[in-house]
Amino acid sequence: MFASIEDVQERLVAQKYVSDRRLATVVFLAMRIAKPILVEGPAGVGKTELAKVLAAALGRELIRLQCYEGLDESKALYEWEYGKQLLYTQVLREKIGSVIGPAEDLKSSIELLSGQEDVFFSDAFLVERPILRAVRSVEPTVLLVDEIDRADEEFEAFLLEFLADRQVTIPEIGTIEATAPPLVVLTSNRSRELSEALKRRCLHLQIDYPGPETELEIVHLKVPEVAPALAQAMVDLIADLRAQDLRKAPSIGETLDWAQALVVLGAAELTRELVEDTLSVIIKYDRDADRVRARLAAANGAAGVHGHSHGPGHSHSHPHAHADHTHDDAAA
Amino acid sequence: MERVVGDFVGILRRHQVRVSPAEGIDALKALTHVGLAERPVVRDTLRATLVKNADDAETFDRLFDVYFGLGEPPPEPTARMRPHTHDDDHAGTPNELRFEEELEREALDDQGSHGHDKEPSVDLRKVLDEDQIAPSSDIHGDPERLRLSVFGRQLMLSKKQDALEAALERMTHQLRVRRARSFSPGAIAPETGATELPIDLAAADLDELADALVDLEVDPELISALTAQADDILAGLPELIAAMLERQRRLSEAGGTPDLGVTDRHLRKLLDVSPAEQRELERALRRLGRELHGARSRRMRPDRTGRISVSRTLRRSLGHEGIPFTPVLRRHRESRPRLVVLCDVSLSTRNLARFWLQLVYGMQGLFSKVRTFVFVSDLAEVTGLFEEQPLGGAVASIFGGGLIDVDANSDFGRAAEAFRLEYLQAVTRRTTVVVLGDGRNNGRPANAAALEEIARHARRVVWMTPEPRWSWTLGGCDMKAYAPLCDRVEVVRTPEELSGVAESLALETVGRREK
Repeated sequence: MFASIEDVQERLVAQKYVSDRRLATVVFLAMRIAKPILVEGPAGVGKTELAKVLAAALGRELIRLQCYEGLDESKALYEWEYGKQLLYTQVLREKIGSVIGPAEDLKSSIELLSGQEDVFFSDAFLVERPILRAVRSVEPTVLLVDEIDRADEEFEAFLLEFLADRQVTIPEIGTIEATAPPLVVLTSNRSRELSEALKRRCLHLQIDYPGPETELEIVHLKVPEVAPALAQAMVDLIADLRAQDLRKAPSIGETLDWAQALVVLGAAELTRELVEDTLSVIIKYDRDADRVRARLAAANGAAGVHGHSHGPGHSHSHPHAHADHTHDDAAA
Repeated sequence: MERVVGDFVGILRRHQVRVSPAEGIDALKALTHVGLAERPVVRDTLRATLVKNADDAETFDRLFDVYFGLGEPPPEPTARMRPHTHDDDHAGTPNELRFEEELEREALDDQGSHGHDKEPSVDLRKVLDEDQIAPSSDIHGDPERLRLSVFGRQLMLSKKQDALEAALERMTHQLRVRRARSFSPGAIAPETGATELPIDLAAADLDELADALVDLEVDPELISALTAQADDILAGLPELIAAMLERQRRLSEAGGTPDLGVTDRHLRKLLDVSPAEQRELERALRRLGRELHGARSRRMRPDRTGRISVSRTLRRSLGHEGIPFTPVLRRHRESRPRLVVLCDVSLSTRNLARFWLQLVYGMQGLFSKVRTFVFVSDLAEVTGLFEEQPLGGAVASIFGGGLIDVDANSDFGRAAEAFRLEYLQAVTRRTTVVVLGDGRNNGRPANAAALEEIARHARRVVWMTPEPRWSWTLGGCDMKAYAPLCDRVEVVRTPEELSGVAESLALETVGRREK
């Protein structure tokens, strides 16, 4: 349990996760008033990471449920192990004589058999899926429901009982309440709008791309090998790219990959050639790559120096960016 | 606190942010855990509990600033409050401190932990059980926290309006002296919803106010405590009231123009769509997206909401002696319908065309093939433009006149001919053709034959016109000629109507009845 909002921040930083105060506040509240957190934001801003570091910071087990289209409760909650049930039936075939032995007619033997039915719908044949595991766990856990927007709407509705009351209902067994309520983190890329009912049951947290300072901090924390000047140049360039109208803006994840790549390459300075060579790490679409190259070339030509090779304070002005943009449009 | 949060929720709702009562209760619960001492924390708390759509976040931020912005470093010169401006000044006079403490104790009472109970909202209190309240009481115990922030003080004042009013009542005679200052009862009690506030109050008005205040049951101790420090308070009171008045004004006027983000604002300027329309559009699209799965085809595919496929189920169950443990369900695969849109972007239909283009843009993912054309007198395909560019850019380049001359006189006859010659192969038996235009050719030939040929190839032709039927016979309108060739003619004048038609159209296209 976190003692205060500052405590949340400190413990997240200890896990190498930089958070702003809003995030810390929401996490703190989620623990205190026992509500799930719904994290929304573009891909690669650390939504999933949040759940992971929370688990680490709290010393809890992380249970992960990756959502996809067609996900249903047999994958998310529980399933009966039909094969095993069948096998046991086969193996226990001889036993049947002793169970229904004294019975005289068909009716009473069926009654006797159905008296034994519970055996087959008991824990022995129950396959736990992530949600059930989180509910039945003796130690509190962190349950990550990743990319809930990918699941169908029925699945959302199915989650409601669990989210609101921390319990699940299995028809054959009954309702199971969480003994140690898990901290639930749902993430969404907003590929579709989630239902009001789901949102109402959660605390909402929007994570966006961080400001340059925060991003710099993250780079230093995660990839300490990278030289400060280089990191600064990278972050400036990334911020500049995000301001562009790209199909897929580079995320924090990509910044970190890039930093890693530059460390591997032993780069000390961010030259234009280096940027072009490693562009594929941060840019994932051809059209975007073309744009960025054109932009780098323009910056190079105009300034006569490497666009982003040096230190802080060296970034592109916005009017420039806009001029570029309209030029592109006219060409298209 | 309940009252402040409740009031604030009401204001959010008035600005079209949907907040459920459950969320309001969550907000209260959450506030008991974080306390009121720090403004950013309160902001984040309320935001996380009350606002669930990223789009509403900006509305929230703006309203929060206005609603709780009473004591900020003055946004307007009128909102200046001498004794309250700086947090750090709080060492202040002992009198002042005592006053705060008093208010604070009242605040705790209000939360229901102890003391007098005079607020009606009992059920809220049931929710807040004792140990949830407990953290807030250490505000009381902790001498450091006694120096209440400006923000906390605002909360108190907003909440303790009764107290404020009571203090006012006792001080009416003093206030009269100062009545040249601007304030009014409307400002003191925001619930009355007064918007226009008279600057000079007649003495009679003040008497009336005093009479009304006498009726309020207020804790006499508090009043005496307050009056004891009357001078201190009174010095700041008119400014405080002026600030509240200002706040009220901003809250009530803010409704018309919610501030959108930079990109949105950019888009809005281009699209000239009111936020209400924007919302309507988004709602319509979401609804469509849910309803519209596509037309039925003969092919089946596995689907867990479908019907049992006997043969497949039997095959799968061979492994367990033919006992069908796992039924296989199948449903008709749905194929997406095709749509060709012809959109008049001339001056007369421009406003609707903008909305329509947005709608089409949003629908592109729902149909397997949407081809969009715009015309005035020339015709141009904009499908590619929509795919490449974000909506704002695409619409801007259409209306910017880069593709076709948008200032020409509209001539559907000519555009239809151009379409027939170049793009007729785009129209198949599965295609629905939608024309948005007023059918005014400004004297040039109607060329109904071209439309007729298009209609023959298409599954359906739907025409949407902004003009009511009676005006079709007036000057230069060829709707009379076109209407019989269309399967359906709809008169749409507002975006709401348009999205309604689009919805029913989409549903019919995929072979479902309207609900």
